[in-house]
Amino acid sequence: MSPRLPVHLALAELRHEWQAALCFVAALIGVLAPLMILLALKNGVIGALVEGLVEDPRNRQIIAMGAGKHSPTTLETLAAREDVAFAMPAPRSINTQADAVRNPDARGLERGVQLVPSRSGDPLIPQGAVARGGVFASQALATQLGLREGSRAQLVIEREIDGQVQRVRPEFEVLGVVPEALFEKPALFMDLSDLMDIERFRDDKTRTPQTWQASGPEPETYASFRLYVRALSDLGPVQDALAAQNIRTRPWAENAALLVGFQRALNILYAAIALVAVLGFWAAMSANLRAMVERQRISFSLLDLVGMVPRARALVPVVQSVVLVLGGIALTVVLVLPVLWGVNVAFGTPARPVIATLSLGDVAMFFGLGVLTACTACLWALRALSHISPDEVLRHA
Amino acid sequence: MSPSPAPVLSIRALGVTLAPDFAVVIDSLDMARGDVVVMDAPSGAGKSTALGLIAGAIAPDDHPDRAHSIAGQTITARTPRHRFFAPHQVGFVLQTSTLVPYLSVGENITLPLDVAGGVVERDWHSHLIGALGIAHLTDRKPAAISVGQRQRAAIARALLGRPALLMLDEPVSALDPANVGQVEHLVQVLAEDAASAVLLASHQAARGAFAQAQRMGFETRREGAKSISAFALARTDRPQALEAAL
Repeated sequence: MSPRLPVHLALAELRHEWQAALCFVAALIGVLAPLMILLALKNGVIGALVEGLVEDPRNRQIIAMGAGKHSPTTLETLAAREDVAFAMPAPRSINTQADAVRNPDARGLERGVQLVPSRSGDPLIPQGAVARGGVFASQALATQLGLREGSRAQLVIEREIDGQVQRVRPEFEVLGVVPEALFEKPALFMDLSDLMDIERFRDDKTRTPQTWQASGPEPETYASFRLYVRALSDLGPVQDALAAQNIRTRPWAENAALLVGFQRALNILYAAIALVAVLGFWAAMSANLRAMVERQRISFSLLDLVGMVPRARALVPVVQSVVLVLGGIALTVVLVLPVLWGVNVAFGTPARPVIATLSLGDVAMFFGLGVLTACTACLWALRALSHISPDEVLRHA
Repeated sequence: MSPSPAPVLSIRALGVTLAPDFAVVIDSLDMARGDVVVMDAPSGAGKSTALGLIAGAIAPDDHPDRAHSIAGQTITARTPRHRFFAPHQVGFVLQTSTLVPYLSVGENITLPLDVAGGVVERDWHSHLIGALGIAHLTDRKPAAISVGQRQRAAIARALLGRPALLMLDEPVSALDPANVGQVEHLVQVLAEDAASAVLLASHQAARGAFAQAQRMGFETRREGAKSISAFALARTDRPQALEAAL
């Protein structure tokens, strides 16, 4: 039998009993609207915080504690992990500082500038890569010294041998500027080879200010490394893996891990609230649909008497259930969206204009869950329907 | 000699136990197109139950001699209703003219045909609703018309498919006396137009349009502690043509 007639019967009955249908939809809105607003707030407030954290690559950095002995192979293996976004060797932290940096083309000098080893793929330099002889300056240093792309930066590196200070002044081309949002302090990002030259100059007395940049063999081990994981949730597993190799580390942003945990807890809390609400709604809907079948008992018996097959009759409450639920969700969305707009207008700030938001995926999830709930909640009604026999309409007479 | 009319109903030993001490049984009943048979047993005798058994709406007791067929379709407990209750096979007018409240009168009239996926014969449809005086009511809901008009709509619904067998359960009991004769007459005429066999359950058919129709035999007999309302149309009561057909 074509589904046209059962669908027509279902819709005609809803139209006829529009007040009961409206009450049903109102009850649905009563459950769904707070749930949607809660989800929107969760998305807006916590989502924005976590998004900010995730977007800032520094929060995905793991810092090695103390100096170690990390072989190039170990670091390559680390870099090859799927949860690692960037890993490279680094010299001892004591050697990652220039005594001073100046712009030879302008006045000004900055003392104690941090030197950061870098290479292609550095998450802090998304717009390019350092090269031997070329550096990226942090915005703070660039502003201080008037550096910009194409400028020259002169480093002052000192060492003291037998009470005598020796000094070299290598010059580097500034290839670009690292935005302050990614690195706040005055710093230069430079090729590892250049940084290793500086380390050798400081540590190796045999290297003179004239020969300090002579090439040497690759070190067998490195004292430290720069490491960024792909996602905040990767911080824990990667740290655990390093701890298993007796490498002590800490995340750059301790609060990132805390917030991720908070977000997880909030997700669980929301899921629990949603589950309880959905279960309550499911039970209420089951009872309503069951009552709807009772209301149409004689009509269903008559339909059976005139030969409507059970499958076609069963379609009537199913269609009614789906129509009511989808209608209820659509109306809830229509009612909730202005509320969210009002919340954002009232509580939003220029820095964070969105306090509450629902994505299309969230709305689609509500509709999907609604259809699932509608189809399962009518099982009781269908069971009752299967017990309605054609002789009831005779007895009714 | 004219050809024998095809049997539309054949029943043997069809019964149901309604209570430990009460049962309703149709011992035998055979009808052909054109037959008009009245069940005029007293109230409470089980006429509606007997019609429910015939319509396959009430599950019968097992009986070794049980036989039940409508329009050539043998009916067992497993026969799907749509096999023997299509609009061209059976039309049923209920005592209280039950209509689907959320459908219009017009939709109620075509409901059995819509369920069966049949096509409405426009001329016959117009003739029916015109003769029954409800042509102007088809857009209304059942709640917006009178009891008598609802009963006429129920008659139109039952006859629209030109059923081989038209069953009526006290079709005029809810009507005021002024309407009874008119409705009975309409049923008689329209059933004749549709060439339907008519089986009427009524306790007031001794007068009116069906006064001259054949009566089903009725008796109350006892089997142990059980009282049995038994209906039968004895072979000697049946027209010869039907006898030959069976």
